[in-house]
Amino acid sequence: MSIKSLTKEWEPMAYGFLDASAKREIRRKTLKAIAVPGCQMPYASREVPMARGWGTGGLQISCTLINPQTTVKVIDQGADDSVNAASIRRFLSRVSGAPTTMDTLKADLIQSRHRIPEEKLREDQVLVLQVPNPEPLRPVQPNMSIARQMHADADYGRMWLQLYEQIVRSGRVMQGASYPSLVHGRFVMTPSPIPRWDVPKMHMAKHLTILSAGREKRLHAVPPFARVEPLVFDDVPYRVEDHGDLTCTRSGAKGYFMNEIPQDDGSSTYEVSDSELGVKTIRQRDGEGTAIGATWYEEGRMPQ
Amino acid sequence: MTHYPTPSDFEAQTNATYEALMWALSRPGRARGLPQAGQAGIILTLIDRECAIYTDSEELRAVAASTGAHPVAAECADHLFLTSVPNVAFLRQLRQGSDMYPEEGATLVLPASFKGNTRLRLTGPGVDGEITINLDAPPVIWTARKQIMRYPMGFEIFLVDGDQVIGLPRTTEIEVL
Repeated sequence: MSIKSLTKEWEPMAYGFLDASAKREIRRKTLKAIAVPGCQMPYASREVPMARGWGTGGLQISCTLINPQTTVKVIDQGADDSVNAASIRRFLSRVSGAPTTMDTLKADLIQSRHRIPEEKLREDQVLVLQVPNPEPLRPVQPNMSIARQMHADADYGRMWLQLYEQIVRSGRVMQGASYPSLVHGRFVMTPSPIPRWDVPKMHMAKHLTILSAGREKRLHAVPPFARVEPLVFDDVPYRVEDHGDLTCTRSGAKGYFMNEIPQDDGSSTYEVSDSELGVKTIRQRDGEGTAIGATWYEEGRMPQ
Repeated sequence: MTHYPTPSDFEAQTNATYEALMWALSRPGRARGLPQAGQAGIILTLIDRECAIYTDSEELRAVAASTGAHPVAAECADHLFLTSVPNVAFLRQLRQGSDMYPEEGATLVLPASFKGNTRLRLTGPGVDGEITINLDAPPVIWTARKQIMRYPMGFEIFLVDGDQVIGLPRTTEIEVL
């Protein structure tokens, strides 16, 4: 073996931006993450031309998976057209030549910041979630070495205590986003800061979810048909946000997760958070042929 | 006009191989197509200087050497590429990681025939209800696998039949029918 045999011809840029060794490491770690659902796998988290904390973890997974046949959709808090989503989408397209879409049904690879689309994902789709803080134990144990030992021991007592204290103090669980969830009955994971509304979508879902934190250099995964159970007490049922009865003022879509828009008179109006679903609803209302896929929530309720 | 990079043959092949491995492991028991037959493509997709690998095949040893991986004994290897289904004693010595670092468990790549006489019923994450597969590997391997591994410790198995691959993560419960 020589240095020459381990190198290759000069290229202006590696395909998909990441070099081959970065991709191989992510491949190895992602396979182990799929094999041990919910368990955080450390990885090197290479530099990408974007600041840590802006979705670099998700971006590295997408760059590893992408090829010219992969149709990419990027979501930022439900919207396809916000700056973060638009620039990641353009970056992915430019480094790979992959086609892009805003339509959930047409996407092969969906990179998302903090929302799962309202339309059900298929079994050939991959959802990549950007994770700011992958450690669900951080609020109760800031030392990550001890937290790792607690995961090893399945020692989640303090997690439960935290939820109990919230119920005692406030009458309900105050955890708004990234609700701690038990995966395959063993590891507690944070599902990234998706709202409580989106957590039940992960339970026994058909698609593969990969969650990656670039700044924290860890990734975890939820394979298809895996149990994802939010931590709840028997007598205090899990509650999603009360958005089931709200109507979007722009599109008329009803029964989905909404963004609240404060008004001058102190009241609020709402618009559907999954922007492409809103666009599709408007197109359908205007008689343009647009297919809206089956949604996880039906009439504002998650079917049991 | 924007110039888009095009994947080299190596990039296209390793990308497709990884996609097959990822879906094979995500949906245990479902065969996925590899872009080329055999285990050499899997080595090129996953292995580099950071890996410690074991193989009993001369041909694969050369491929592995070209990646810069360290050749080690079976009990130290993080990836193993075998020419035949190993015995129970061999499985027993495999790396399984620890409760703290379950990702240090080994990945075992084996040749197999998906038309054998051993019928296995798989359940667990990635399996919608249950799925039945046929293999030629002896049943004793699968009962031993269950006894050896204690979740979250364990090892992953990829079975390669020509250009088809089946993944068996440690979470998959295997029942010999």
